[in-house]
Amino acid sequence: MGQQAYSWLPPQASAESILIDKLFSFMTAVGTFIFNGVVGTLLYSVLFQRAAKYDPSDGPPIEGNVKLEIIWTGIPILLILWIGTVSYQTYDQMGILGSMTQKTMETVETVPAEPTQKVATSVEESATSAPIEVHSRQWAWEFRYPKEGVSSTELHLPVNQRAKFKLTSEDVIHGFFVPAFRVKQDIIPGKEIDFSFTPIREGRYRLRDSLYSGTYFAANQTDVVVESEAAYQKWLQTAAKTTPTAAANVAQTEFAQAEKTSVSLGWATVKPAPAPIVNYSNQPNTSQPTPQFEEEPHE
Amino acid sequence: MSSVNVNVKPDPTLNSQAAHSHEEEDHRMFGFIVFLLSESVIFFSFFVGYIVYKTNATDWLPAGFEGLEIKEPLINTVVLVSSSFVIYFAERFLHKENLWGFRLFWLLTMAMGSFFLYGQAVEWMGLPFGFKDGVFGGTFYLLTGFHGLHVLTGVLLQGLMLGRSFLPNNYEEGEFGVEATSLFWHFVDVIWIVLFLLIYVWR
Amino acid sequence: MSNASVETRPNSQLAAPDPQQPEPGAPENWRRFFSFSTDHKVIGIQYIVTAFVFFLFGGLLAMVMRGELITPDADLVDRTVYNGLFTMHGTIMLFMWTFPMLNGLANYLVPLMIGARDMAFPRLNAIAFWLVPIFGVILTASFFVPGGPSQSGWWAYPPVSLQNPTGNLINGQSLWLVAVALSGVSSIMGAVNIVTTIFRMRAPGMGWFKMPAFVWTVFSAQIIQLIGLPALTAGAVMLLLDLTTGTSFFDPVKGGDPVLYQHFFWFYSHPAVYVIVLPIFGVFSEIFPVYARKPLFGYKVVVVSSLLITVLSLVVWVHHMFASGTPGWMRMLFMFSTMAISIPTGIKVFAWVATVWGGKLRLTSAMLFGLGGLSTFLFAGITGIMLSSAPFDIHVNNTYFVVGHFHYVINGAVVMGFYAAIYHWFPKMTGRMYYEGLGKLHFALTFIGINLIFLPMHPLGLMGMPRRVASYDPEFAFWNVIASLGGFLLGVSTLPFILNMLSSWTRGEQAGDNPWRAIGLEWLVSSPPPHENFEEIPIIVSPPYGYGSDEPLVSNNPKGTFEESAASTQIANLAGEAN
Repeated sequence: MGQQAYSWLPPQASAESILIDKLFSFMTAVGTFIFNGVVGTLLYSVLFQRAAKYDPSDGPPIEGNVKLEIIWTGIPILLILWIGTVSYQTYDQMGILGSMTQKTMETVETVPAEPTQKVATSVEESATSAPIEVHSRQWAWEFRYPKEGVSSTELHLPVNQRAKFKLTSEDVIHGFFVPAFRVKQDIIPGKEIDFSFTPIREGRYRLRDSLYSGTYFAANQTDVVVESEAAYQKWLQTAAKTTPTAAANVAQTEFAQAEKTSVSLGWATVKPAPAPIVNYSNQPNTSQPTPQFEEEPHE
Repeated sequence: MSSVNVNVKPDPTLNSQAAHSHEEEDHRMFGFIVFLLSESVIFFSFFVGYIVYKTNATDWLPAGFEGLEIKEPLINTVVLVSSSFVIYFAERFLHKENLWGFRLFWLLTMAMGSFFLYGQAVEWMGLPFGFKDGVFGGTFYLLTGFHGLHVLTGVLLQGLMLGRSFLPNNYEEGEFGVEATSLFWHFVDVIWIVLFLLIYVWR
Repeated sequence: MSNASVETRPNSQLAAPDPQQPEPGAPENWRRFFSFSTDHKVIGIQYIVTAFVFFLFGGLLAMVMRGELITPDADLVDRTVYNGLFTMHGTIMLFMWTFPMLNGLANYLVPLMIGARDMAFPRLNAIAFWLVPIFGVILTASFFVPGGPSQSGWWAYPPVSLQNPTGNLINGQSLWLVAVALSGVSSIMGAVNIVTTIFRMRAPGMGWFKMPAFVWTVFSAQIIQLIGLPALTAGAVMLLLDLTTGTSFFDPVKGGDPVLYQHFFWFYSHPAVYVIVLPIFGVFSEIFPVYARKPLFGYKVVVVSSLLITVLSLVVWVHHMFASGTPGWMRMLFMFSTMAISIPTGIKVFAWVATVWGGKLRLTSAMLFGLGGLSTFLFAGITGIMLSSAPFDIHVNNTYFVVGHFHYVINGAVVMGFYAAIYHWFPKMTGRMYYEGLGKLHFALTFIGINLIFLPMHPLGLMGMPRRVASYDPEFAFWNVIASLGGFLLGVSTLPFILNMLSSWTRGEQAGDNPWRAIGLEWLVSSPPPHENFEEIPIIVSPPYGYGSDEPLVSNNPKGTFEESAASTQIANLAGEAN
């Protein structure tokens, strides 16, 4: 059963995922053992220990058994300590969470603000050390690569390199969640959170907002592309040369459509934040050229 | 095991004493104490909130505000804490069935409680910040306001008990009302001491 | 030797129902249930029925949700409507279903089980009940205000809960907060009442370790309410102030801390789930001995574990915040404390299995629900231990894995336990027997439904489907379809139960005092019990669950000493076959 557990999880696209999956497999094995034991006992009893139809007598007046009780207290304690220790070690090895520093909030309104100007000239050397800024808002993701001066609504990462991030939110709490990487961190407004993990497998994966953030929460998703260093650099360079434009997102599209209809089928909603102005967008209905590099099929 | 088709009809002469005493027992004080213990957790939660905000804040006090005056609140504290002794003496008088002694000290307690409320209002009106002024403003008014509400409730309950003391045979079935009001007053007092230390003394 | 001078009441007066005080459970007396009654038995039934109506309402909301989720797109209802649905589904199920229902069971059973005539404060009891329809109306009304009901999830996390798109003072969120505050007041009233009753009104001879396990679990649950609920009230008050007056406790723009709200919220809401599950543990502890005809295995340890759970439940709350803005050391600390709570829970599970093992099982509806509930609860407990592991939780937090876990607890243990309790005590409450065939059908549909809807949620969560989503990526479609079908089945499964209850109450066969030949004070009195429960308060002589032994439960020795003379004691625990 422990082996089976691996098949229930997304592909292991990060170094962290290998640790997590192993932990899950271990816990599944232990859990299955206990479950089968208990339910098996109950089933046996249900099948073979029924009272005879006209037998009004009671069962044996067994009130307890100290030895048995010690065993079934002691063994679970040991199991818990075991699972706890393995978990502690796993968390330690993951080391995903860095510091959480206070950051003054600047804007709260979700009315249109001035579009941010992105300076995009050329890309310097590969900047794997500068953390990628993740800006979350209602209801779109924006990623900024400060060293290269690139902004994007799709997260690109070079494979086998530790990816570092600064997570911020412009309005409410969001959640940075990539199932394939097994990583998640709530993004608290007013804080800048250091976060990091290591992608190990090229491909296209889904990034989802994991903490309920309002009306279009379910649509607040984007893709993460893990690619070779060369392809990554190429993407950065191409994006840096592209003029930033507003990237459409599902929330805005739906909201605009809802505004057009005269009959409202729902209740009042917070207006979506202004669209991110980015060099690169993964939305089909913008003027971006199709990506030049090879993509693996979406998992 | 034999099956006996018997319904229990206990002999009514038995346990009549036990049954009777169950009916007589007054559980109201026990219940009131349980309630007060639970109520104290609300204050405790607000205190924890205050501590968390204060220790994590970068700019704690509102701009331009140096800190709370301690003199008048200290006087208020002395008055409130003393009133706990006054109300204790009032209760003593009642137990000794000295109704006028009870009423005098009880009224004195009410006056001291009202003085406290008046002092709190004066302080509030003199402060340069409101409850919307940052986390400090919010927690300050929340804590003192919520406490003040309890003081007001205490004084009103005392008024009710004072009125009832004029009813004939009011204390035939015990003095629960007075005892509970008195306990409530002590509770309000203890809360204030913690609050005072937290907000006015701790800088 | 009895005092000859004390008069005795003639038997006829005990047997015939007093027309001035008609039996509480009699159907021709239904008007009593809509009145302000101070009889704990009436109040108990009022709580249970009111709660069950809201259970159906909350379930209806869930059916619409499953209808939405049967397809990947948000095509059934508007997104705002879906968000309102899941918010209110959770809120109603917790505050209008589980808490009132459990207060109802406790209200009905505790005085009977401890040999008291009523609760300590009957009028407070009635007030606490009547608050329930009031805040129920407020919550329902929130659907009809501009902007609709609260759409921030039953957690009401700021800043989302503070956004208030309509800008109105009276909006779904503020109504929600008022309703929850009132619910807290009602619960505290109930808790004070129940704790006082259990502490002070037990029959002579009933020491703490002669009390039925159900009473223990109710006691433990109410202690948790008293300690935890005020913290929620504090957080809710601060949130309401932020929402309506513009204070900045939780608003990050004005210097507030949204994570502090989470601490306030979960400091109560985690123990709250033990408030919900502990009495159900108590129900299981009552059910298994009766239908296996064996004593509860390890009774003393089982009841002590209730207290352990109470204490531990207050120090695990951060496990809901493993992915929040919590530092690493806090995550590890609470991981270990959370894992620890599985020990006393496991003790109970093993004790129940040992109670059943080697007994003489009768698979009545109550027993089926008990056994089924035990199995689903065990599954939930195992996924719970997985969730307590912080690194694993980081992957599945806020996904459908969690939703599957807690619904297995709530539907698997609590709802199944509720049904078990109703089938078990229905004869006592109404004086009628229910239809066993319908009960078994109800069990089959419910058990299959629960597994069909909630089991698929686990792979969904593992694969990364977040919770609270009105739409999802197409890869999640398969399991969602199965879950939705299971959900509809679960909805349908309530029908045989409702049918059974209504028809049995009005025209079921008369039940005797003790159709299950169970041992317990409630089975010593008539079905339904007389107005003041006991003609004379019984004197307890032996621990509960004396199956298989000769010890009588009560003694009628006039001197109050606890001798067990066969001549003078009446064998109260064997009332013969079902009438």
